[in-house]
Amino acid sequence: MSNRRPVGRGVLSLLCLAAVLFTGCTRTQPAAIRFGLAYVPQKLDPRFSTDATSSRLIRLLYRQLVDFDRRQRPVAALASWARLSPLHYRFRLDPSRARFHDGRPLTAEDVKATYDSVLDPKLASPHRSSVALIREVRVIDQDTVDFMLSKPDPAFPGYLVIGIMPKHLLERGHDFSAAPVGSGPFRFHSWPQQGLLRLTRIKDRQLFEFVHITNANTRVLKLLRGEVDIIQNNLPYELTRYLESKKHVKVMHRNGSNFTYLSFNLRYEPLQDRRVRLAIAHAIDRAQIVRHMFGRKTRLAAAIFTPDHWAGDPQLRSYAYDPVKARALLRQAGYGPQRPLRLVYKTTNVPFRVRIATIIQYQLKQVGIQVSLRTYEWTTFYSDIKKGNFHLYSLSWVAVKSPDIFRYVYHSASIPQTGRQHASVGANRNAYRDTLVDRYIEQAEQTYDPAQRVRYYRLLHKRLLETLPVVPLWYEEHMAAVRRRVRGYRIAYDGNYDSLAAVTVRR
Amino acid sequence: MNFLLSRLASVLFVAFSVATLVFALMYLAGGDPVDYMLGEFAKAADRDALRARLGLDLPWYQQYLNFLRGVVVLDFGESFHYRKPVVTLIAQRLPATVELAVAGLLVAILIAVPLGTLAAIRRDTALDRGAMFFSLLGVSIPNFWLGPLLVLVFSLGLGWFPVSGRHGFASLVLPAITLGTALAAILSRMVRSSLLEVLNEDYIRVARAKGLHPFTVVTKHAMRNALLPVLTLLGLQLGALLGGAVITETVFSWPGIGKLTVDAILSRDYPVVQACVLLISITYVVVNLLTDLVYAWVDPRIRVGGR
Repeated sequence: MSNRRPVGRGVLSLLCLAAVLFTGCTRTQPAAIRFGLAYVPQKLDPRFSTDATSSRLIRLLYRQLVDFDRRQRPVAALASWARLSPLHYRFRLDPSRARFHDGRPLTAEDVKATYDSVLDPKLASPHRSSVALIREVRVIDQDTVDFMLSKPDPAFPGYLVIGIMPKHLLERGHDFSAAPVGSGPFRFHSWPQQGLLRLTRIKDRQLFEFVHITNANTRVLKLLRGEVDIIQNNLPYELTRYLESKKHVKVMHRNGSNFTYLSFNLRYEPLQDRRVRLAIAHAIDRAQIVRHMFGRKTRLAAAIFTPDHWAGDPQLRSYAYDPVKARALLRQAGYGPQRPLRLVYKTTNVPFRVRIATIIQYQLKQVGIQVSLRTYEWTTFYSDIKKGNFHLYSLSWVAVKSPDIFRYVYHSASIPQTGRQHASVGANRNAYRDTLVDRYIEQAEQTYDPAQRVRYYRLLHKRLLETLPVVPLWYEEHMAAVRRRVRGYRIAYDGNYDSLAAVTVRR
Repeated sequence: MNFLLSRLASVLFVAFSVATLVFALMYLAGGDPVDYMLGEFAKAADRDALRARLGLDLPWYQQYLNFLRGVVVLDFGESFHYRKPVVTLIAQRLPATVELAVAGLLVAILIAVPLGTLAAIRRDTALDRGAMFFSLLGVSIPNFWLGPLLVLVFSLGLGWFPVSGRHGFASLVLPAITLGTALAAILSRMVRSSLLEVLNEDYIRVARAKGLHPFTVVTKHAMRNALLPVLTLLGLQLGALLGGAVITETVFSWPGIGKLTVDAILSRDYPVVQACVLLISITYVVVNLLTDLVYAWVDPRIRVGGR
């Protein structure tokens, strides 16, 4: 009996060891702070990134000359500026700026190299068009750089938001997407697979892992099990509410600024009648949709810019839900049970968007409008919208900060020309023409007086709401769910991840 | 040898047809990869420049010829989206897909063979009905529901396995079970029906009359003969699995070929779509070829017939 004991103990301890190893494999390493991403970052090269996830990660890795404050006004970031003339801006780099992650100092030469690279047509950078008005970038000294423009633009400093990259690596054709080198608060660690990116916070060497989890349910389950510490946005509201009932998770909400709208094709005759558009605006019960489908910080919209945007209008109110008025307007326009208005409503096949579209379809049916819903995967949908092949569609403008969007979306010169498939002079896809709107846009673009610009933009907002090329719907909120061991995470006004620089973990 | 040569010819034919079909479908599907790459605000001139660089401004027959030339030398070009060689992208994803496919199939076999055999031996008993009910359940439960359910129980409830991702053996268990149960359902029905057929044959009666143990009769005499249709099904299923199990891959964030293909279709990443679909179809043909070879090993009659 006695000499069999040690064997039993040996087996037991082996089992324990196996159990420890097994669970060791499955448990998360406490060392890293893990962030669950709904979308995989596409490119960590600031010259090529266009998706929101990449842009937010790029802010951690690189620093940009100009940033925005809460009211979306351009403010100094890596550099402060002075306008020497409408065509000449001088930028002075922050003397206390950090070095690049490879140890080299960041100088005016690097600023020039970055912008020259973006402006090079051969590179095919998606950001070239936003800075195409730069005629020349001139280095004055190590800390000073001049931007010479080809035409005046009061919004100009707000376009300089590309992360500054080191000149010596740009010249060598370094693959920044595979191994980013910037001067931001985070340094690139590794990117072992498409869905797992590791960054190191420079001040304390804290490791961060950004894990891609497409499925919203899976993302929530991983958060609950502690396999990730933070998730943000892209959750159906029922999952947010479910998370709010869990005690080891903290759910945060914040006002957002992404503008969702319902667009009319003004080439289609029935929709050219303002009474019809107004009827549709009155028929949609937006408050009800927001209450049941979105988080509590989602706000009803009246314009492309939120009331807290510097060019926004806090007094502006959109049309109230009034089905009686909607029916009366339709009657006046000649529609009724004998001659119902029939419309085709296009949307993407993202289940959440389809649900919203179904509700709108139902609400329009209540006032006698027959809507047939068509859902497509994104590329087909987008291609149809660009060709003007729709009656109604809904979409959102995401992360729009600068008022040059008005020319792009509402000016009559921005109507895409039909016939040439690839002509994309602008995004006035509903073929909206209004001389007053054109004039306000042009006047605002020519004035440098901030108060006067605000006045023009408010007039513009008002006129757009009157003429109704789109029904403004809502500004979706930002939400984040964080495990309680994580301290200091704040949702930024535009959903960026900057507060990761201050996050701590209770061990 | 002739058999192999004719199969090789069929692989080439299938590859050519699939390549042509994929090219035609992607061409006709509409949508513009340049939109995806340059985003909302790009200028027409920049779009045209990029389109020229990617060869998308050429007439369709020239694009088709370029594509076929690439297929012949196994150069699928660079992904529009990731700006990396397509071959590299596929090489990164393939191991994960193979791992999940093999594990899923293994789970299926481990469940289906005992279940189907029991159902056949105890025909028309509660056991048979129970097994077939399970099989019905397996076919009916969709993976996008079973996956999260397994996660709720085994990851969140019991804490045994990670919720998702690909980090070692533990993370393979739940996706393999999710995939395996659906396959096991069909497979166990096949095992049952073909075993029932064989169990009525004369040689089984002879084996029983010789006084062999019932276990030996089933495993040695009946099973080997009943396996042919099961193998066909297994071959088809493995082919399908190697093509990527998109839903399971999505639920468990498994970095496989299926998700790569779907993402590439959505972003109109033509080179990646073409390479993936080609890979999937050739995998099908090759797996079927291997199934035929295994036939010959299982059933000597086929070997004789082949000569």
